[in-house]
Amino acid sequence: MIRIFLGTALASVFVVGLGLIGLAAGGSRSLNAYLTLSAILFAIGMFGFLARRNAISMLMAIELMLNAVNLSIIAFSSFATSEAFRNDGSVIALLVIAVAAAEATVGLSIVMAIYRNKKTPLVDEYDAMSQ
Amino acid sequence: MAIGPTIPFTAIPWDDALFVLLAGTLLASALAVVLMRDIIRCGLAMMVCFGALAGIYVMAGAPLVAAAQVLVYIGAISVLILFAIMLTQTKSAPARLAFQTQARPAAVAAVVLLVVVLLAIGSTVWGGGTERGDTETANVARALFGPFVLPFEVVGVLLLAAVIGGVFLAKRDRSTTDRPE
Repeated sequence: MIRIFLGTALASVFVVGLGLIGLAAGGSRSLNAYLTLSAILFAIGMFGFLARRNAISMLMAIELMLNAVNLSIIAFSSFATSEAFRNDGSVIALLVIAVAAAEATVGLSIVMAIYRNKKTPLVDEYDAMSQ
Repeated sequence: MAIGPTIPFTAIPWDDALFVLLAGTLLASALAVVLMRDIIRCGLAMMVCFGALAGIYVMAGAPLVAAAQVLVYIGAISVLILFAIMLTQTKSAPARLAFQTQARPAAVAAVVLLVVVLLAIGSTVWGGGTERGDTETANVARALFGPFVLPFEVVGVLLLAAVIGGVFLAKRDRSTTDRPE
């Protein structure tokens, strides 16, 4: 438990430091700040997808990555010069959110179906194809 | 009472301070999602993460997307994931190891990807404006039901197919449940 608290505290200090760096690089008025945020979020999601054992944790990491991509879409469209591009960006982000909802539905029901057969949510115990 | 453009007694603008606060919350909760051992806490941290991201959308000038984020992600997807967590938790064998054996290479790969993407972002000159612009909801609606009406309808069909597929996959098979175990 203490390790979790220490880890979270360290992570938040690290993150606030990153935020201050981003502020020095232009703050909320620069496109690069949003893109940097999106890249960090995508990397965190990718690590979670590759490293977690639980299938539902992997799905959550996929949601993080989808959100990172959505954030970069919004950032690009919000810094576009013409107003039509800004509206298009919002529309594309809304469509991506809808597709993400469909993906979550199907992904979670696949996990439920596998769980009912194998009685475990851990993906490294799904070894039916390697036998 | 009017609030000035900067935080009182400092030269920091409000929106920069808000951005750093939201970005810090977002990244800290995202780290919590992938690092914490208790998966139900991961799910709760994910809700915080989505909320902070909705705030960032508002700051980026897309309030409709922020509203959809709150409704769809916090309202629907998080609840779905929390239910799935509760349905798949095994009491008999709690996962002692939250991470695979490949966690260390995965961390290296993620850091490498992050560095490459950050270098690409830093070295690219993006065209377009340097000023952040807001979107008006009425204009977004006109775009959604004007030039984007075909993708909109296709997404509707996709959602219907996903719902039917989800019900089909998650439905209990009669022949296996009736059999005593």
